[in-house]
Amino acid sequence: MHSRTAILVAALAGLHVILLFAGFVAPYDPATQDRELPYAPPTRLHFEDASGFHLRPFVYASMRVLDGDQAGSYQEDQTHAFPVQFLLHGSSYKLLGLHETTLHLFGVVEPARILVLGTDGYGRDEFSRVLFGGQISVAAGITATFIALLAGGILGSVAGYYGRWIDESLMGVTELFLSLPWLYFLLGVRAFLPLHLSALHTFFLLTGVIGLIGWARPARLVRGIVLSSRNRNYVLAARGFGASDFYILWRHVIPEAFGVLLTQAALLVPQYIAAEVTLSFFGLGVSEPVPSWGNMLSALEQYSVLVAYGWLLAPAGALIITSVLYGYLADALHSG
Amino acid sequence: MKRITGLTLLSVCLLVGACFAAKVNPDSPKPGEELARMADVSGRYGGHLSVGERSEPKTLNPVTATDAVSREVIGRLMGDLIEINRSSQQTEPALAKSWKISSDGRTFTLQLRKGIRFSDGLPFDADDVVFSFGVYMDEAVDSPQRDLLIIDGKPIAVTKVDQYTVRFVLPRPYAAAERLFDGLAMLPKHLLEKPYREGHFAQSWSLNVRASEIAGLGPFRLKEYVPGQRIVVERNPFYWKVDSENQRLPYLDELVFLFVGTEDAQVMRFEAGETDIISRLSAENYNLLAREKARIALQLADMGPSLEYNFLLFNLNDLGGKKLDEVAGKQAWFRDLKFRMAISAAVDRESIVSLVYGARGTALWGNVGPGNKLWINQAIPHPARSIERARELLKSAGYGWNSAGELLDARGQLVEFSIITSSSNSQRMKMATLIQDDLAHLGMQVHIVPLEFRAMIDRVFQSFNYDAAIMALGGGDADPNPEMNVWAYSGTSHLWHLGETKPATDWERELDQLMQQQMVTLDYARRKKLYDRAQQLIAENLPFIFLGTPNILASANSRVGNFHPAVLDPYTLWNADELYVRGPAQENAGIR
Amino acid sequence: MSYIARRLARAVLLLIGVSALCFLFTEMAPGTFFDEMRMNPQISPETISALRARYGLNQPLLVRYGRWVKSALHSDLGYSIAYNVPVAPLLWSRAENTLVLTITTLLLTWLISVPLGVWAASRRGGLLDRSVTLLSSFLISVPELVIAIGLLAAVVRWRILPVGGMRSADFEDLSTSGKLQDFLLHLALPAVILVLCETAVIVRHVRASVLEVLDAPYVQAACGFGIKSGRVLFRHVLPVAANPAISLLGFSLAGLLSGSMMVEVVCGWPGLGPLMLEATLSRDLYLVIGGIMFSSLFTLGGGLIADIMLLALDPRIRREAADAQ
Repeated sequence: MHSRTAILVAALAGLHVILLFAGFVAPYDPATQDRELPYAPPTRLHFEDASGFHLRPFVYASMRVLDGDQAGSYQEDQTHAFPVQFLLHGSSYKLLGLHETTLHLFGVVEPARILVLGTDGYGRDEFSRVLFGGQISVAAGITATFIALLAGGILGSVAGYYGRWIDESLMGVTELFLSLPWLYFLLGVRAFLPLHLSALHTFFLLTGVIGLIGWARPARLVRGIVLSSRNRNYVLAARGFGASDFYILWRHVIPEAFGVLLTQAALLVPQYIAAEVTLSFFGLGVSEPVPSWGNMLSALEQYSVLVAYGWLLAPAGALIITSVLYGYLADALHSG
Repeated sequence: MKRITGLTLLSVCLLVGACFAAKVNPDSPKPGEELARMADVSGRYGGHLSVGERSEPKTLNPVTATDAVSREVIGRLMGDLIEINRSSQQTEPALAKSWKISSDGRTFTLQLRKGIRFSDGLPFDADDVVFSFGVYMDEAVDSPQRDLLIIDGKPIAVTKVDQYTVRFVLPRPYAAAERLFDGLAMLPKHLLEKPYREGHFAQSWSLNVRASEIAGLGPFRLKEYVPGQRIVVERNPFYWKVDSENQRLPYLDELVFLFVGTEDAQVMRFEAGETDIISRLSAENYNLLAREKARIALQLADMGPSLEYNFLLFNLNDLGGKKLDEVAGKQAWFRDLKFRMAISAAVDRESIVSLVYGARGTALWGNVGPGNKLWINQAIPHPARSIERARELLKSAGYGWNSAGELLDARGQLVEFSIITSSSNSQRMKMATLIQDDLAHLGMQVHIVPLEFRAMIDRVFQSFNYDAAIMALGGGDADPNPEMNVWAYSGTSHLWHLGETKPATDWERELDQLMQQQMVTLDYARRKKLYDRAQQLIAENLPFIFLGTPNILASANSRVGNFHPAVLDPYTLWNADELYVRGPAQENAGIR
Repeated sequence: MSYIARRLARAVLLLIGVSALCFLFTEMAPGTFFDEMRMNPQISPETISALRARYGLNQPLLVRYGRWVKSALHSDLGYSIAYNVPVAPLLWSRAENTLVLTITTLLLTWLISVPLGVWAASRRGGLLDRSVTLLSSFLISVPELVIAIGLLAAVVRWRILPVGGMRSADFEDLSTSGKLQDFLLHLALPAVILVLCETAVIVRHVRASVLEVLDAPYVQAACGFGIKSGRVLFRHVLPVAANPAISLLGFSLAGLLSGSMMVEVVCGWPGLGPLMLEATLSRDLYLVIGGIMFSSLFTLGGGLIADIMLLALDPRIRREAADAQ
């Protein structure tokens, strides 16, 4: 592997580890509302005060000041300084979904709040929500990609290998899939679902739907590869030796496709993360109070919010970083 | 050569002249025309204003139009016999200059103004009125407005007395019956009788109609329609209202409706100066525009609380026969009044007003809010939010909490339910999120299920497959009568329990009787007492847990004169005939 | 050729399949057009039922489908419930606006992407290549919706361009050159958004396919023989690299009617997109189905054109088609 690819993989791995340990890295619970602090801007870190320079940064508490006609603005209450502390105890969460703990990477003592990326309309910490939301969105992207590639890979291989009418009908079905009105279907699907779906069920359903809609393109790709490799010498030889179809597919044909599939994976993951964002715009994504980058960005649909509270674009920033990393990885895999 | 040049010159002159002649001048008042004089209206002629609309109107046919945008455009083209002044919320004579009501309250004899003409210059008289009502009440036409004219299952009888007098006989007395006439446009018999007799009335006056084939009694008439982009209406030269100086209204040469899209797109285009009026802003957009006030010259109007009421609704329908066991199991909780009272006590209405309505709203504990000054029952209590009181109520109803703080009912079941709401309404979605958090303080597990609008309606009205919903009603008129179908036990909007053949509870029986009585009581004071008691019953028994109402917020460019938004729909264009363009004389290339 | 005939037959079959599935999907989505009226306490359910019956909405699915197919064969796609006008002319007038936007975008995209992609690939690893890759990665990562809203907000903030619609309110009063200018100003925003998003994708594909061919042994051999790089590029590399590019073009053509929906809605361009979105949300049945069939025609047509082009240009495919017979 080139060093560049190694760096990319390391960066991506780091990103995923941070998301995995979101509960630890995030200072607050993503669902805790603070109705006194809606749309608060990011807390400023200070290093200097009246007594000079401090190595450990500190913050002031935010106060909401309402002035008649306007929505209100925030000021710092400079009477009391709250130093940033590391490895402190705060809200409880389940590390990796298993072990319940209250240890957080950083934070400040109440009543101040360290709002790295400000708050949303309900006063919930945006930074914590971006981390927890990333868990959902990235997991959705990866799961959907896996489903799409699995389905597409299998179907594409079968089509390419057996050829003739299986191929024709499969290609016909993929074309059908690509021309259908998915919006209608999705509206119908959501309305059909039982009301009492837990967030987990919704998540799997969502990824299932995205993945199943997306199997068409990988299928065509794999089919192309399989078609070309079908007539390779070693395949003919294997057949001459009496190997079964399954054996040939499994040992000779699919490995050919593997490289392409891996590149496809790196390309599809960010696309499917973006698909989750789009679905949330139609209210078809994961619902409150569970954060996902998609439903967080839907708050920005309102022009007034977009213009006045720019820090809420954080999920878009996270999305872009993730997509760019994956994109570079795809490039590296392709040329590597 | 010379002749050709001469001809060219002549045609150029004619063309140029035609361009200038494109502006329609008001016809000067003629003797014999009984015009309505608006004594406190003044302004100046000329100019045009643009208004943004959320979508395209679907039709220009006043009988079949159902969507709000169509009705807003049509309303500027059509005239009614009696109008409700949106500012005072009282009725005013319009095409009918006066009317007499018989002592039993059933017979209305309306005197029409003489000498009035449609926008195509042809005269208006009682024949048009009788024809119009015939169309509205024709079952074959299926007009949604037909239901307004059917009282107790019997239609109103309309007869022509003479050329300018029409008699309406109601099957029984109906309070504030004259309010029914607002919104029932008078149709030109000379244009519409033929398609009506030939059975294709519904296809008349679609958006593709030629300007010469449509005529009305409103301040404007159709000029042009550009598909997907705009509708332009121009001054009706024969409009029957004059201002304080006997100048014929409207002042504007043209009114342009631009199809802009979402509210955010509307705000953007309003900021860019492409539209002049924007109505029904959200609080965030209102504050946004307030911040821009220095940069763009605009006028902002906060008209106070609207008439709509937002509420949390629990499914109390009879589910027998439907396979909805899960919902049915939860109805034991929903039907318990103490359960609903606890929820009402736990809801943080203050936060709803401040976070959802940006402090430009009002909390509600009943169906009539402070925006409806004539009918609000001021004696209804407004208890402050109290989680302790909610917990006490739940405890006294047999609920308890386990070690994790989760709420259990008397049988030991976890209290868990879902709230559906329309995904396209961000304000109600926000309310749902706040309520979810509020109820978590009581140990209840609440799921929010955003559904696409029609999917939600399907569940609430048809399949009953839901636990609770956040919706809104009201806002149409201040008068209690349009609310009949919500509070009458057999009403079609009796959302918590649809399809009742008899009142399910004692209080619903009393409520039904009160509503039926107020409908036939003609005296305002007596009606108010009945309706006050009705409001009290509703607030005590909580079929809906009322949440709040937004203020009506509107804005216009500074150059719009006579901008008086109102709390009733259409909020800013109800006085379109009085709007005028302020500004330098050059802008107003008109009469004055 | 029977290859083309077979593809045509398959396209027709697909159209039928799409129409059937459409009806099925619309059946699944709950609610009808008239449900909105239920929220108005002053309209009786009898009126709503009567309206539903008048438009045949209460009939079983198969009956409705049968009637629709019969009338579609006479090129009558039914009536729009909302507008009360025939579906086909309504669709066509909006489709024109969409096509104006998408064809312009298509031309611009390919005019930019192909030279840029080829150039970047031929100077692999150079400054241009790296910046093209960086920029395109960035643009692909950002969802189209975010780009659209971002640019829209910027344009409005600084009043750069008019927003919404195809023409200004005083269009008729402008001179011919004024009209052209006004039209171009309105076209600019949606076109820029679409070109940005699509160029990013196409440039990468063009670059990738050229790179693939550049690595092929015969190209290396040609260079080794001293053939000038320009000649190598145009005579040996591009024709081969054209194959995937033509498939891509097919996808672009296929998306002519449907790809711009989101941008049209956000920018207020009066094309097919906003019409279809509203029709879908309000359950204007025949308008939705008519619109989908329209777009499917384009989708399938685009694929067919791409296949025919491939057949004409790529001898490998011709041989394969001949072999298959």
